[in-house]
Amino acid sequence: MKRTPAALALLTLWIAALALLGWFVQRQLVIGADLRLFLPNPVTPEQRLLLEEIGEGPASRVLVVALEGADAPVLADVSRALVDSLRENPNFSVITNGEMSPDAVPDELLPYRFLLSPTLDTQPLDEKYLHGELLARGRDLASPAGAFLEEWLPRDPTLELLQLLQRWQPMQEPHREFDVWFDRAGRRALLLVVTHAPGFDPDRQKVALGDLEHALQQVAGDRKVKMTVSGAGKFSVLMEARTRGQAQAFGTAATVGMILLLLVAYRSFGSIVLSSLPLASAAIAGMAAVSAIFGTVHGITLAFGFTLIGVAQDYPLHLLSHRRPDHEPADIARGLWPTLATGVASTCIAYLTFMFSGVNGLAQLACFTVASLAVAGVTTRFGLPVLMARAGRDFGDSRFLDRLWDRIAALPHMRWTAAALAAVGIGVIVLAPQAFWENDLSRLTPVPRDLLITDAQLRSELGTADARYLLVVGATDSEQALRTLETMEPSLQALVKSGAIGGYDDAARYVPSPETQLRRQQRLSDAATLRETLQRSQTGTPFRAGVFDPFVQDVEHARSLPPLTVEKLRGSPLGASIDMLLTQRSGGVSALVTLSGVNDVAALQAFVRKAGNVSLLDIKDASEQLIAAQRTRILWSLAAAAVLLIIVIAVALRGRSRVLRVLAPMALTTVLVLAVLRASGESLNLFHLIALILAAGLGLDYALFFEHASADRAEQRRTLHAVLVCSLSTLMVFALLGLSDVPVLRAIGVTVTLGVIFNFVFALLLTRPPPGDAA
Amino acid sequence: MLPVLSATAATLDADALIGRLAKPAPATVAFREVRFSPLVNEPLIVAGELGYDGPTSLDRRVSEPYRETVAIRGESVRVEREGEPVRSFGLNRAPELRGLLSGFTALLAGDPAVLEHSFKVEASGTDQAWTLELTPIDARARRRLQQIVVNGRADVPQCFTMLTAKGGASVLLLGATADRELPKPTTLDALKHLCSAE
Repeated sequence: MKRTPAALALLTLWIAALALLGWFVQRQLVIGADLRLFLPNPVTPEQRLLLEEIGEGPASRVLVVALEGADAPVLADVSRALVDSLRENPNFSVITNGEMSPDAVPDELLPYRFLLSPTLDTQPLDEKYLHGELLARGRDLASPAGAFLEEWLPRDPTLELLQLLQRWQPMQEPHREFDVWFDRAGRRALLLVVTHAPGFDPDRQKVALGDLEHALQQVAGDRKVKMTVSGAGKFSVLMEARTRGQAQAFGTAATVGMILLLLVAYRSFGSIVLSSLPLASAAIAGMAAVSAIFGTVHGITLAFGFTLIGVAQDYPLHLLSHRRPDHEPADIARGLWPTLATGVASTCIAYLTFMFSGVNGLAQLACFTVASLAVAGVTTRFGLPVLMARAGRDFGDSRFLDRLWDRIAALPHMRWTAAALAAVGIGVIVLAPQAFWENDLSRLTPVPRDLLITDAQLRSELGTADARYLLVVGATDSEQALRTLETMEPSLQALVKSGAIGGYDDAARYVPSPETQLRRQQRLSDAATLRETLQRSQTGTPFRAGVFDPFVQDVEHARSLPPLTVEKLRGSPLGASIDMLLTQRSGGVSALVTLSGVNDVAALQAFVRKAGNVSLLDIKDASEQLIAAQRTRILWSLAAAAVLLIIVIAVALRGRSRVLRVLAPMALTTVLVLAVLRASGESLNLFHLIALILAAGLGLDYALFFEHASADRAEQRRTLHAVLVCSLSTLMVFALLGLSDVPVLRAIGVTVTLGVIFNFVFALLLTRPPPGDAA
Repeated sequence: MLPVLSATAATLDADALIGRLAKPAPATVAFREVRFSPLVNEPLIVAGELGYDGPTSLDRRVSEPYRETVAIRGESVRVEREGEPVRSFGLNRAPELRGLLSGFTALLAGDPAVLEHSFKVEASGTDQAWTLELTPIDARARRRLQQIVVNGRADVPQCFTMLTAKGGASVLLLGATADRELPKPTTLDALKHLCSAE
């Protein structure tokens, strides 16, 4: 490193600029975790609904909690205490263990019970009915249940509220022990929790999970109860932690390895510090560009972005390797610039196509990478040389490199072998038996299989909604939606009866349509009549005259109530269920009928065809279509990128043979990496594609530098030195990632590792000047 | 002689008394329950037998004036009545019942430590005619169940009176006392008298 005033001033300015940009990023950038950023804009209503489901839909917010490890009575007790302690927690909109409690219904909704319960459809409040009910209540009062019913009876002698609560239970009743949900074996107490945070918000999910854990510790005390939490939110927290942990561990190992490698290669700490400056500048500039243009950035964008700018690490290494004692670094940088600039420009232009892919996350990724690479290239060219002292030695002047280069030069040219390899590679790609593309959306955030199995078990025990099939009713407003749902009721009941589905849930189970409510309202007798009927029906019961006045008042109140609307219920504790089932959208309302225990899809399809105004949403199918659409866009972007790349190289190099020699290793590598992946049984996903793009960018740089060095023997040694250091450092980083057991990291690691090896070998074999050209 | 007698009476040993009440499970005892409620004209009276089978299992079988079985198993209460569907609810919803259960079973277990775990215990009277006042320690439980008063003679509990916080009350007459004729009119005071009388 130079210690001239100019160099020190530049270094100070540089670091100050980075600090300033860093401050801007820190202030501006919001890191989002919404997976939808990485999906294309929805086209069909199903896709729109799907995206809502994925992002913040009911399914993504539901957590299933299992308590085990103690006797059933203890578990039931802990389950109740857990519900009590979390009921007021702001992170959860619902926490329930199946126990019905009249306290759950807010006071102002109580008079509505006559309009909401179907009792009045078949049973008027006549003398015979009331007499029977009152006799039963007298016995209830004398039973141990008496003490807690006592305060309810004056207001609700028919226990209408309990009937209503019963009706609101899941249709496929989970197994119960001691009145709370258990699995069928009676070994695990089960609870259902709905978080306010969407499933794919690991930060807020983490807070909610922490609260859950804390509450358990509080209520369980010294009783040994083991809690298992399962659901999308839990998975996103888990995968985030695991991915972050492994990325950090491998990142640390890679950094240490990198420093050792650079020390061996350049024998100077100063060089290592200098070489990190362009990369640091690239990262911060990339984030600044994304914050300025997009405001929020997806966590995945950042992770991928940092992967992709690994190419930028190579730029200063080329400069370091090419230094010589007899030349100023500035001259060397000037000499390398055409090659470096071609590499930077072609890669950047290729990435630019992703800006127009229609996938927001990819556009961010492109923005990030283009800004980063440009900054890394420019700082390597204009910044670094000013700070750099002349090298003490010529890195090309090495006996090892000499011998290595001679051996390589002795290798036969492999044009035909390369062509044959390409043909075999394409054959393997085409013939591998597994599906070419991975269409399963869940693989984007892959969850270990055993966790998914536990999740499926717990969900089936609770009879929670099927994750794949949903019925969707479109309507202009909530009232119309409720009416439609009510007309569907008999057919749905028939489907349950025939076993096609185990049960269903829809908004009309909670709020009947206004017409139904008005019809029930008309069946309520006026206060005077009811009081008289009560008086007569009280004969022969132990109850005191006038004790049921609150009941008469409630009925009178119910007679004049406007029908309960969905909007009114939304604000109550029951709102969470309604929110999930009836969502306001631009241009109307869509009502969901969630299904549980789907056995016969054909019967559902037949029902949908007959009903006409309802559609069956197959989430798996819709998500696969969406992924396919996303891939089509990415592939078109890739094709455009490839064409642009060829044009840029052609313009820069001029001359068919040179262009071919530079592009051949990259193309052959891509084919062979694909072939190896296919042969090992992988189906390709987004992560493979991104890794392939990175590998192609690296390969292009290797080939460009080898091509540039073709004339001069000493320059060839220096280039070999540079490319060796570059490829070894990249190889180390990605080979480590390839060891990860997080599928995403492994996919990227393995693909890039293969890409680096192939690219290096083919750049040597194919880009090397033909024998006649050698000096 | 007299001072000695009064000294014995004053220092009635609650722990020893409770120890003497122990009855091995399973045990059954006849009962008659008189329940006072502001909702009814006359107190509600039922009779039958209580079956005790360990600290988490209690059956209350009513045979008069109708048949009804309430079975407490752990945290769950199950109510079966002729001509009606079976109903069940959690014990946590009926603190009176929990109080009865823990008081009753602790007495039958004859273990003062168990009793003192949930109740403040005050004993008065003599070894022959005694009264135990059990007040729930937990403030939350006390909001529903104010106090349980147990009257007995020698090593036989006779009356089990539960006073709820809202002024309700329920008196369980046990064993031979259950067969005695109820005072007319049946008021709480009259029952108190019956329980503490010879």
